[in-house]
Amino acid sequence: MAENLKGNDKVFSRRIDNFFIGLERAFQFVKKFFIEVWIPPYEFKEVIRQCYRIGYNSLPLISLTGFIVGIVFTNQSRPSLSEFGATSWLPSLISIAVVRAMGPLVTALIAAGKVGSSIGAEIGSMKVTEQIDAMEVSATNPFKFLVVTRVLASTFMIPILVLYTDFVALMGAFLNVNVNEMVSISTFFVQVFDSISFLDISSSMIKSLVFGFTIGMVGCYKGYNSTKGTEGVGKAANSAVVMAMFLIFIEELLSLQITNFFRQI
Amino acid sequence: MKNDNKRLVTVGIFVLIGIAILVVGILTLGAQQKAFVKSISVTSVFDDVGGLQTGNNVWFSGVKIGTVKKINFYGESQVEIEMNIESSAKEYIKKNSKATISSDGLIGNKIIVIYGGSGQGPAIEDGDVLTAEMPLDTDKMMETLQVNNNNLVSITEDLKILTHKISSGEGIVGAVLTDSTLVKTFKATMQNLERTAANSNRMTADLAKFSNGLNQKGGFVDKMLNDTTLFASLKTTAAQLETTSAEASDAAQNFSSVSENLSDTDNAIGMLLNDKEFADYLKSTMSSLDTGAVRMNETLEALRYHWFFRKSFRKRDKADAASE
Repeated sequence: MAENLKGNDKVFSRRIDNFFIGLERAFQFVKKFFIEVWIPPYEFKEVIRQCYRIGYNSLPLISLTGFIVGIVFTNQSRPSLSEFGATSWLPSLISIAVVRAMGPLVTALIAAGKVGSSIGAEIGSMKVTEQIDAMEVSATNPFKFLVVTRVLASTFMIPILVLYTDFVALMGAFLNVNVNEMVSISTFFVQVFDSISFLDISSSMIKSLVFGFTIGMVGCYKGYNSTKGTEGVGKAANSAVVMAMFLIFIEELLSLQITNFFRQI
Repeated sequence: MKNDNKRLVTVGIFVLIGIAILVVGILTLGAQQKAFVKSISVTSVFDDVGGLQTGNNVWFSGVKIGTVKKINFYGESQVEIEMNIESSAKEYIKKNSKATISSDGLIGNKIIVIYGGSGQGPAIEDGDVLTAEMPLDTDKMMETLQVNNNNLVSITEDLKILTHKISSGEGIVGAVLTDSTLVKTFKATMQNLERTAANSNRMTADLAKFSNGLNQKGGFVDKMLNDTTLFASLKTTAAQLETTSAEASDAAQNFSSVSENLSDTDNAIGMLLNDKEFADYLKSTMSSLDTGAVRMNETLEALRYHWFFRKSFRKRDKADAASE
């Protein structure tokens, strides 16, 4: 970002000024997205293609991760609950943990790693090979075609992936509980739905939308602003993942506060 | 183009399944939490709700029939609980039912429990207020437990003193446990008891035999119980005995009057028995008679040697000698 500042026109220090300049660029980038998203032509096919890549192609990885998370979390929670003789509470505990936090969080983190890095690297390489400039020359809006489609796809696919993750994680938990506590599937799911509320599901979905938007937006931003050739591509992919994961945790914290506020009303 | 269509269909199926999971989840949740069920609203006012929260369950006879809708402060420091109750359950809940706060497990969520209500009373309606029954307060329970603990401490202290005394041989129990003489005596007593028990056994056997004998057909008791002739005879005897006893009673009365007369001095025997003066007189008379008799003997002896009677006495002596 050192190239952002030229000459002696710094306000604070070079680093602090660069931080605020980066922030302003990010804001402008997001603002541009919200403007471009409503303006035709809508790149519907590209959106579907990105949905296929981001959503469908991530499904095996997300499903496996969700299944393992369900089993591991159940197994790790059992000793604590069995100390109170409360292993019958496992379905309730798992449902709350999976639906409220772990489902969205695990999905978002996996997607940040898989999707965020791929978007960052893809757009970054397009940027350094001047393909984006070529698109502009050929009267194609690169922002609309590359950024808006990917951000939309990730925004809508992450909640769908979260639903899959929740379902698969609960099935994994059920498998573990069924083997150890001989709980039937109907009893398990009655307890699961007894512990969660509409607020849990809605907050989980809204949170997932925000996570998806963040992953897409950070990946696109880092890729779109990558420099320094191939080295910049790797840096863009890496920083896209790191920044997306960091923001996801921040958003998780904020969503927890907001959900608790609504829970108390 | 073909590839694009394939991708489109795949994404469509993928999204559809995802949305299906969401819809099924929402419907299941709604069905389980009775979100889409027609309900009525009733309230109850508690002094303390003990951490009850909005959304907690309402139970009636152990069945979930609704949820807590709102918790509001009421009056000075009371809490008004607004509950949503399924319309299908309202006919079973009477207006005089009570509401209390309980828990769905030892450390489970707080719940409202509706109970009671007479069978004849009218069913609750929307907007009704149920009487609140305050639940058992944990703090009060702990206070009672503390009293129990104090009592336990004093009991154990007493027990400690008691056991110490017993172990050092004080008192009857201590003596029983430590004194060997007592043990011997106890053993001897037990042996005696054993013998007594054996004797009792024998006696019981004898009694059994005896009672068997009594039960035998034709025996005395059997006759007593079954022979009507004997019974009639016994009845007659008893009647006679009664007469005899009545007569004996009369005789005893006569004896009594005779003895009374005997103690008096206005009759011959009474005077003889009781009059000292007469006794003295009789005594002196007897004494005079005795003296007279001696003198009479002397006179008669003298007559034996008188010439007039001498001959007849000799004749009698000879006759006696001859007969011997």
